[in-house]
Amino acid sequence: MDTGDAGTGVAEPATVSVVIVDDHGIFRSGLRAALGPAIRVLGEAATVEEAEAVIAEVQPDVVLLDVHLPGGSGGGGAEVIHRCVRHGTSARFLALSVSDSAEDVVAVIRAGARGYVTKTISGPEITDAVQRIASGDAVFSPRLAGFVLDAFGTSSVAVDDELDRLSARELEVMRLIARGYSYKETAKELFISVKTIETHVSAVLRKLQLSSRHELTRWATERRLL
Amino acid sequence: MRPPLLRRSDGVIAGVCAGLAEHLGIDRSWVRVGMSLLTLASGAGLLLYAWLWIFVPTAADRDAEVRRQPGPAAFMDDVGGTSAPGVAPARDRAARAPHGVTTPPVPRYTLPLPVPPAPTALPDHGAGTARSAVPGPFDTEVWRERTLRAGRREVLFGTALLLAAAVLVVQLLGVRIDWGFFVPIAVVATGAALAWSQLDEVRRARVMNRAGVGRAGGTVRLLAGVVLVVAGVLVALSSSGSWTLTMATLVAVLAVLAGVGLVLAPWALKFWRDLESERAGRVRETERAEIAAHLHDSVLQTLALIQNRADSEKDVLRLARAQERELRQWLFADPAREPGKLADRLRLMAGEIEDRYGHPVAVVAVGDASLGVAEDALAQAAREAMLNAAKHAGVAVSVYLEVGPETVEVFVRDRGAGFDPAAVPADRAGIRESIHSRMARHGGTSELRSDGDGTEVRLRLPRTAEDRET
Repeated sequence: MDTGDAGTGVAEPATVSVVIVDDHGIFRSGLRAALGPAIRVLGEAATVEEAEAVIAEVQPDVVLLDVHLPGGSGGGGAEVIHRCVRHGTSARFLALSVSDSAEDVVAVIRAGARGYVTKTISGPEITDAVQRIASGDAVFSPRLAGFVLDAFGTSSVAVDDELDRLSARELEVMRLIARGYSYKETAKELFISVKTIETHVSAVLRKLQLSSRHELTRWATERRLL
Repeated sequence: MRPPLLRRSDGVIAGVCAGLAEHLGIDRSWVRVGMSLLTLASGAGLLLYAWLWIFVPTAADRDAEVRRQPGPAAFMDDVGGTSAPGVAPARDRAARAPHGVTTPPVPRYTLPLPVPPAPTALPDHGAGTARSAVPGPFDTEVWRERTLRAGRREVLFGTALLLAAAVLVVQLLGVRIDWGFFVPIAVVATGAALAWSQLDEVRRARVMNRAGVGRAGGTVRLLAGVVLVVAGVLVALSSSGSWTLTMATLVAVLAVLAGVGLVLAPWALKFWRDLESERAGRVRETERAEIAAHLHDSVLQTLALIQNRADSEKDVLRLARAQERELRQWLFADPAREPGKLADRLRLMAGEIEDRYGHPVAVVAVGDASLGVAEDALAQAAREAMLNAAKHAGVAVSVYLEVGPETVEVFVRDRGAGFDPAAVPADRAGIRESIHSRMARHGGTSELRSDGDGTEVRLRLPRTAEDRET
């Protein structure tokens, strides 16, 4: 659940503007209340079309995006990202879901989301995650790290640039995150800076998004809902 | 019950007499003598011998046939074929269900139809249907229909033979028969029968869960039927006319057929689509009912409980977590992961501890291993670690399982206040016994780290080559 201690790595955070996209009104208002004072909610949307319109209108820094959304052509959160990217949005996306299914996770990450957290996340954690996303970092929950390890395998590759495998360092980082370590704790454990951890996590995110790895798709489809 | 009629492998020529003797329970020599005597009667014995040779399978044939059937025993024994197994033609066999239900044997003889080839080599449409059909519950209706159908076939065949005999007798008596009238009628009737039998197959296939196997045989039958009907009609129409007239008629017939086909095609297509959509609708309805039943049994019950316990925050939280876990398991259970293995075990334990202490215990698993003695010990040690974390730290607990090629590792971490392992009284056996000693006994290692940021227990178990295979 925990993705890092609030404020780590972001010294004096500027106000971050967000749009909340979720089809449950109760969840939207709950999330609005849970977000810290450093975050300004510019708008809300409940469907794919609404989200597209609101995001284009208010141009938020971060979009908190539910994976399952009505409307559009049934693509949910991933479709919102595709549409907004087509409009050339500068907003960054953080996927929020109750879903544990690997297919959902992989779909929305590959569409371009920079993080994936479950909806049971606490107020300070989500606030921190939003600030991280706003500053261009990736947010990995232990579960997402577990998915990455499962999909890419737990043996490393020597070259950092190989898209289909994780480097030894990236593996170590993913393992610690999967074990429930925050970025700060991971950094302490590996004797490197939080900034370096963020770089590694971003690299893993890039691999997750760009890898044409055949197994990745197969892995996700194998784990699809029946 | 008599032994089934099968050709014996230890016979003189083809084992027919030997098999017959065993089946009838008389001495072989008697059967052979009888067969020879019959042969003297204008070769009737020879004919009978040839007949039986073709239609009676050997024991090996029958075994192969039985193996191809999903049912437990040869259903020839179920349905009146007791005295003549394998004599029944394959289409007849298809009519009998492959259901694995023992039915009383009906003492009735099944006559062979000369139409299909010997049953020993029958990749027939009907047999295919029977084989691939899903065995369903026994159904008296189906049973009766099957019996009727089998009987009807024999009656039909008998009637045809009688008719032929009658025709011959009448001719012998000196009555001139108008063959020009009789043959076309017979041809048309045969063709129609063939085509209709095909339709029957299709319907039956649908009843039997749409097997859809071996359609080629059915198509051939249908085509043969159509050709026969058309030929028969042509002969009937042109029996008095010339060849040119026949050609003209043929063209006319084909034109009419094409026209009718053109008109009926969209209608047939629409009918087919309706049928398909109706079936899809039924499937959806079943799914919906299943989901509704599940939600009712789980979520609605929990919501009712939560409303009752609204004053106790702890209870509400626990109920909600337990329900979430259950629903997650139902919705997102990983079908690629085999149940009952190490990851499942850890999740089960985590859920149990979560219920008991009310602190979330999240399990992330990468890979999985089957549960041997050592893995079981590992799970027990992990449970002890989770228990300690939930009990003493009183915060959320993270559990990470990684199954690599060399080792199985479990990490249990909490962000509680932490403690000094050295300060734990010597009489408290929890960590030392349940975790360290247990791991050591199974060739594994354990490590405990605790500081102000929390506590982590690391368990490591080496894997052997045979572990990896499972």
